[in-house]
Amino acid sequence: MVTLRFTPNLQRHVEAPAAQVKAATVYQALEMYFEQNPQVRGYVLDDQGVVRKHVAIFLNQELIHDRVDLSDPIGEDDDIFVAQALSGG
Amino acid sequence: MNDSQLNRYSRHILLPEIDLSGQERLLASRILIIGIGGLGSPVAMYLAAAGVGNITLCDHDRVDLGNLQRQIVHSTADIGRKKVTSAYDTLSALNPDVTVNTIDHKLDEDQLVTTAAEVDIVVDASDNFSTRFLLNKVCVETQTPLVSGAAIRFQGQVLTIDPRGNNPCYRCLYSENGAELESCAQHGVLAPLVGIIASIQATETIKMLLGIGRTLTGRLLQVDATNMSFRTVTLRSDPECPICAGRANERAPNPSPAAHA
Repeated sequence: MVTLRFTPNLQRHVEAPAAQVKAATVYQALEMYFEQNPQVRGYVLDDQGVVRKHVAIFLNQELIHDRVDLSDPIGEDDDIFVAQALSGG
Repeated sequence: MNDSQLNRYSRHILLPEIDLSGQERLLASRILIIGIGGLGSPVAMYLAAAGVGNITLCDHDRVDLGNLQRQIVHSTADIGRKKVTSAYDTLSALNPDVTVNTIDHKLDEDQLVTTAAEVDIVVDASDNFSTRFLLNKVCVETQTPLVSGAAIRFQGQVLTIDPRGNNPCYRCLYSENGAELESCAQHGVLAPLVGIIASIQATETIKMLLGIGRTLTGRLLQVDATNMSFRTVTLRSDPECPICAGRANERAPNPSPAAHA
């Protein structure tokens, strides 16, 4: 099972609880998460299903390779973290 | 270094990683800080106190009462003054060794290129994405290291970009986005959080100037003050990055900071 977690900054706007899903790629994991938590989809993906420009996705604490198709393979016990750019200063 | 300086910087000089030669190098270093607000205030104060010899401050704004909860380089008496003028007075009083230069207007891309090329490191303490992406572009072009920090509410981020090597840049992490997401003015920020993030930026700057340890180059530090958690994730260069792909070896790198010592 892969664990998905989301930046606390996102939690401000929408409930995005950590969850575990069974999937083979980052894309599949996110889709399965969105099925359970549809309120989160729009904060991560745009209406074309593309990762929003201010969002970065990390797999096991490393930036994913494939930002377009989210095809990075995942294994048991992997960890997906969705971060968001901050601009305040 | 005179006796007064030996005394002032003694706690640095005691550190084997810095020593006399490192402190002299700091005194000969040149830094540009973009934004003299929540992040820029502590960054400027720490770098001035630490004896970074030439600091250029850039901010077009004036001090407002709502700034004073976190922008500690400014005081109540400074309300209405230009931020760079207020900061100039504070830094000059803090450490007369430091030459403080002020730029009280926005710089366009060409001006930023010229200004960045004259310094050893640029510190991004700005409050908007357009400036962040522009600074990244300019620093990649001029091969000037960039220490980028951001903070809002209880969350902060720091990353260091060193375009002199094959390292990821800000654009490798986030795609360009014209829309501003959120600002501290709209959503608030915890006062000491900006101090945490700014202190890390100042630490990164000094380490990079002196070649000490491992910086946040290629990594993103995420701070969540709510749970006091610090999380570091690894970045990667985007081979198709429109800003930095293929640029690392195009230009000769800037002279190392040691060259100014």
